[in-house]
Amino acid sequence: MKRILLFLAVAAALLAVRRAEAAVGCTLSNPARDLKFLYPAMTTYREEARQLDTMSGGKAMFDALKQRLGSDLDPVYETYDTPYTLYTVYKGDEVIGIVHGVNVPGRGGVIQIFLATDPKTAEVRQLVFQRLESPAARALKAAEFRKQFEGLTLADFYKHDYYAVAEPASDKDRVGRLTNPVKGAPGEEDFTASLRGVRKNLILLDLFVYERRHEPFYQRAQEALAKLKAGIK
Amino acid sequence: MAILLAAPMVAARAGEKDPFEGIEPPKPPPPEKPAGRKPKPWTDGLFGENFTLKREIMLQASHGDGELYSRHSLGLEVLKKWSTPTATVAAFNTQFRFVRRDNPIEVSNDHEGMGREGWYGEFHNFYLDLYNVFNPVMSDAAKGANIGRFNFRIGRFYLPMGLNLQTDTHGTVLQLSNERNFGFERDWYAGFWGSLNNYLNYDLYYLAGSGYYPKFRSQSGMLGARLSLANSFDTDYGLQGGLAVMAGERLDKMAVERSPSVAERADGHAVDTFRVGLDTRYRCNIPTGWLTFTFEGTGGRDERDAVLTQLYQAEYLHRSRKVGVAAQYRRFWQDIGRGPMMPGMERPGDVDSSIAFDITYYFRNDITQSNLHWIKLNVEQQLQRQMGDRNTIVTLQYYRYW
Repeated sequence: MKRILLFLAVAAALLAVRRAEAAVGCTLSNPARDLKFLYPAMTTYREEARQLDTMSGGKAMFDALKQRLGSDLDPVYETYDTPYTLYTVYKGDEVIGIVHGVNVPGRGGVIQIFLATDPKTAEVRQLVFQRLESPAARALKAAEFRKQFEGLTLADFYKHDYYAVAEPASDKDRVGRLTNPVKGAPGEEDFTASLRGVRKNLILLDLFVYERRHEPFYQRAQEALAKLKAGIK
Repeated sequence: MAILLAAPMVAARAGEKDPFEGIEPPKPPPPEKPAGRKPKPWTDGLFGENFTLKREIMLQASHGDGELYSRHSLGLEVLKKWSTPTATVAAFNTQFRFVRRDNPIEVSNDHEGMGREGWYGEFHNFYLDLYNVFNPVMSDAAKGANIGRFNFRIGRFYLPMGLNLQTDTHGTVLQLSNERNFGFERDWYAGFWGSLNNYLNYDLYYLAGSGYYPKFRSQSGMLGARLSLANSFDTDYGLQGGLAVMAGERLDKMAVERSPSVAERADGHAVDTFRVGLDTRYRCNIPTGWLTFTFEGTGGRDERDAVLTQLYQAEYLHRSRKVGVAAQYRRFWQDIGRGPMMPGMERPGDVDSSIAFDITYYFRNDITQSNLHWIKLNVEQQLQRQMGDRNTIVTLQYYRYW
């Protein structure tokens, strides 16, 4: 009888316990080697886990992510309790990079997108596909395609929301000018999925690391779009 | 349609200024100076950062040889990582289960539980990893050059043979070869692991060779070494693989009981052991999902008995990650010694082999395996037995890990 009560007590404790931050998110397969590849001058790195459902204000962040992404979140790859891992890269005591990965659903399966960003400007330094199950994998993994993302920030994606509608040919629309290397080819959907993945990754970085510094661009894009729509009516 | 809509919008805003004018460029975040961090209470350091508590429920019933076995458990897993201001330096992992077993029979995922009828509190993983252990004596340049190369592990974890180190078999019914091959799939050990270069990882350990409990009876323990393909082969090509060697002495009561010649030469339950193993796993995309093929093979000896093991597995997971099927064939051959038997005892056969089929419906099947929830039906047909009769074992399992 005592054992049964103990079993029930353990069960109750398990159900009551609140999981703390997870340590098993979309992780680099070999962090030390991968980070060294991205930042050859590095000496050490720190891993930090983030999980919205265990963070203060996590629900609001999850809603904000969905809203700023502009599309529904996938019930398998993008849930409220999805764990994420942030890598802070050091050279001695100096922070020289922030690396973060996300999973997004693609046509051919999962797409794992890692961004190496500049800790000061929040610009993309490098885009890396860790896993890309797609007939378009070769073209999307090619250096020429990935190089286009260097220097982009989340602000560019928010601006794109406006320019794509108001000035589709604008030179200021840096995201709109990205070349699709698989246009009309098998796996074309994975180009769109990859863009969505980069945007999601940058939104999460903005929430986790960059203190929502790109929020004014989102607000301004939304206001400008609303004005446009009102003007048409 | 978008163009039709866009055209009047362009006209509508003609002459307007750029809406993003005036927004100040992003400001850099406050500098993250390690020295600037305030000290936190030790509880925050322990439970607040990089601390994960996972819960697990497993309900399993198996039928075979006219017996109904049940095994129900509640479990916990703790994952914790520690960092200095500039580096993650250590990780700890432990898994604990509180289990109720009734009528144990020999099912593939609970060899260890055969002698644990009733209530049992059991641990699985229990280990500490120390990352880049030579950093304190290295220059910055040397730290950078050797990052990820010298990590130290101590505790109880999967044996460095086959794909176990790269596979979480904690909840699955289909298991890999080690438990049958060595009598245990985890052992107590200490040693180094890391990246050898861009293409290869290594594991090098001294193992107690005692299995569940860390004990020394008369065994000398084992040395285990494994060279494996770097993880990038898995992410780039869906390929994993390795070559491993284990040698020394282990405690294995079953190995002594099933072979007269091992019994004759072993020192108590300490069995002189040598194994060389080759393993590979290949995952490929097909239009409706993923196919995965697994192979593990080892050759070697227990005392003077030659041993050869093979395991082949094919798995299919639907693109929705909701449904999976798998089939596994395993064969363990041992050149059982021809020495004299005790009167009245039957000489064991040379081969244990079985084929198993598995179908799973997943309620959750997170790609990072951080949330798993399934119901599984497994049928194992034993084809050849070294000892005892052949059986068909049917297992129904409910599993949740979150």
